[in-house]
Amino acid sequence: MTDFTMADLGYASLLLSLVLCAYAVGAALYAAHRPRLVFYLSARNALFVSAALTTLAVGILEWALLTHQFRLEYVASHTSRAQPLLYTISALWAGQEGSLLFWVWLLAIFSAIAVAQNRERNRELMPYVAAGLAFAQVFFLALLTMAADSAQAGFVIALPLNARLSAALVGNPFRLLDFTPSDGLGMNPLLQNPGMFIHPVTQYIGFVGFTVPFAFAMAALFTRRLGDAWIRTTRRWTLVSWLFLSLGLLFGMQWAYVELGWGGYWGWDPVENSSLMPWLTGTAFLHSVMIQERRGMLKVWNLVLVMLTFTFSLLGTFITRSGIIQSVHAFGVSSLGPWFLAFFGMTLLAFLYLLFSRMNALKEENELDALVSRESTFLLNNLILVGAAFATLWGTLFPMVSETFTGKKVTVAKEFFNQVNGPIFFALVVLIGICPLIGWRKASRENLMRNFLRPFGVAIGAALGLFLIGLREWYGLLSFSTCAFVLTTIALEIARGIRARTRQGRENVLTASLNLVRQNRRCYGGYIVHIGVILCVIGIAGSTFYQVETQAHLQPGESAQLKQYALRYDALQTYAIENRQAVAARLTVLENGTPVGTLVPEKYFYPSPNPDQSQWTTEIAVRTTLLEDLYVILAGWDIQAGTITLKVIVNPLVVWLWIGFAVLVIGTLIAVLPDAREVSASARTRSEPALARA
Amino acid sequence: MNSMSTPALRPSASVKTGGNRWKFVIGGLLILAAIAYATISSFQANTLYYLTLNELYAQRTAHLGQSVRINAPLDKSSIRFDDKSLTLTFILREGDLSLPVVYKGVVPDTLESGESIVAEGKLGADGVFQASTILVKCPSKYESATPQAGK
Repeated sequence: MTDFTMADLGYASLLLSLVLCAYAVGAALYAAHRPRLVFYLSARNALFVSAALTTLAVGILEWALLTHQFRLEYVASHTSRAQPLLYTISALWAGQEGSLLFWVWLLAIFSAIAVAQNRERNRELMPYVAAGLAFAQVFFLALLTMAADSAQAGFVIALPLNARLSAALVGNPFRLLDFTPSDGLGMNPLLQNPGMFIHPVTQYIGFVGFTVPFAFAMAALFTRRLGDAWIRTTRRWTLVSWLFLSLGLLFGMQWAYVELGWGGYWGWDPVENSSLMPWLTGTAFLHSVMIQERRGMLKVWNLVLVMLTFTFSLLGTFITRSGIIQSVHAFGVSSLGPWFLAFFGMTLLAFLYLLFSRMNALKEENELDALVSRESTFLLNNLILVGAAFATLWGTLFPMVSETFTGKKVTVAKEFFNQVNGPIFFALVVLIGICPLIGWRKASRENLMRNFLRPFGVAIGAALGLFLIGLREWYGLLSFSTCAFVLTTIALEIARGIRARTRQGRENVLTASLNLVRQNRRCYGGYIVHIGVILCVIGIAGSTFYQVETQAHLQPGESAQLKQYALRYDALQTYAIENRQAVAARLTVLENGTPVGTLVPEKYFYPSPNPDQSQWTTEIAVRTTLLEDLYVILAGWDIQAGTITLKVIVNPLVVWLWIGFAVLVIGTLIAVLPDAREVSASARTRSEPALARA
Repeated sequence: MNSMSTPALRPSASVKTGGNRWKFVIGGLLILAAIAYATISSFQANTLYYLTLNELYAQRTAHLGQSVRINAPLDKSSIRFDDKSLTLTFILREGDLSLPVVYKGVVPDTLESGESIVAEGKLGADGVFQASTILVKCPSKYESATPQAGK
């Protein structure tokens, strides 16, 4: 087939998917309203077909990218023949249209999985769940297929009569040019980093994943089944989505660290903030659902949290895609605004109406017993996390709010976020440490004293030790000794569990610890996640409070000095790699006078037929040890004179940020896997029908 | 010591009512008030005006020495970079107005293709804008990231 017909097929499958999802909303709601199973089954099938159709559309666009069908505008603007394969594949989510197609595809797949998982369960909830998921798909599919008059970025929409040339609200990813260029423009060189392959994917899975728990929450409200069924059913969805939000943050930070070339990984940019906010409320949700499951409390709060997390995920997409707020990472300006506002508005109104009309069904089954209890640490954790999310939201949206209402353009400096969130996160870290020391319901005073004593001693010891080896910054000492406190409380808690098993005599320490985790994955997975978070904090504290930098202008043979390092400039080289030209400085790294390796910071030049679009990128060089990163930027050079100018940064403990995330991932995976108890329970339920048949 | 592995405590309905609830409400409100106070107090110190050259020069004396952000078109022919001291200078032009800018640090990769610049810094008495951060805005053809320099 030609690119022509393939493009039409892609567009048609999206259009058909839109029609099917709109039908699914109606059929599912009808099925829920007057129990007609056949309509629900039909809605479910519509969701399955929609998943297949969007998969086909994604497949066609990916095929067009890989086979260089430059007749497609999207392919021509985001790929070129010289571009490495990795970035040709990831061009699928490099542009506005493609990334929304990718988004809607994830949503369609997740919707299909969610309804397939619940074939036999949650019969009352599922029609509403299906309707909600289909409704969200309608919204995103409309963005891709419905045309707006480009003169007015508003609500005037119509199905395009000529799909080939139509400019949709966001853009039809299958739009054709009226000629076939011999080569494409190529992806922006700044995006050509392995981070491009992994960061958007993980971030999107996290963003989209929270749609499923939210759909269940809405269904619970609709059906007044406000117990913990919806929470238990979506526990894994929540955890896995949260895991992907965490991975999105991790890969985003790593990408910024190596590509933007300023030695940092986080700049409180609006797009960065928008990926942090759902993570914060999602974290609060993960904690507070435990209180509802154990004590039947915080029902309203949990509904609000899952709504906030979903809304923040949408806002994240909106901020990244709309260009409404100025950002380092933003896409071009688009007319998404009114559409997103309409979707937000409808969702929020429906949620609030349902919440208030069901208040009587949301009565707490228990009351909190004591101010000092495990429950209240969870509550406090929730307040802090949501507080941080809203402080960040305020700083992110204020420029827009101010301009709208006062006409004055203002911006918020980065220091605002550090000043507000610094103390908030510090309190959170302390809380992670205190939590395992305090029992459920009510903690006795002696109990508390005994549990506090040892970790507190370790913290004081750590502070003294660090002071003696020469650390002076007050903030740093406070952060590190707090981390020591928290790690000790978690270690003691785990040790207590292991001792309880070994004391019975049948198990040694190793099998005891394995069995301990295996039989209560959720609890100990949680502790491991906490350890990961503390390791991240150590990395953040080290690189924030102890970063040092210098710059040096060097002749060949001269060295730049920083701390115990000397960087000897050996040679300046130029060479060609694939689609780019490189300028590279060869440096020998000497630590306390002994050579320990070489570093080659580079600059890449990506030529383009249009000189305005030729571009340089900075490729930093890093030497990582457990103690610190030596981070080198080639900031300037003179080919004739053979001189270079380096910017050198020593970033202490950065690697612990990445290690902490790895530990967090392991902990989350442990918590996601089924408990030993759960496995035997589900094995029992599975074997029962078999027995009955026998 | 309870751990999370203790069986659910749900069946034990609490006997206490009323008074306890208030303790939590007040405690929660105090914490939210603290967060709100921290937000507002550090907010005032950290908001900057976001100005065009017209607006900057209209109230030149008021903005002298004050941290502001400027957004104005870049005169590409004026870009000079001293690679020895990593000093970048360029001129922003808007109509008849112009503003010389000095920035010390690594040159943003997209500078050459930049249409306009967002510079954060202070206007000195000598009429030169000392930028601490610059952000390059590229033509919308580049539907993607523009890097930030400085911190």
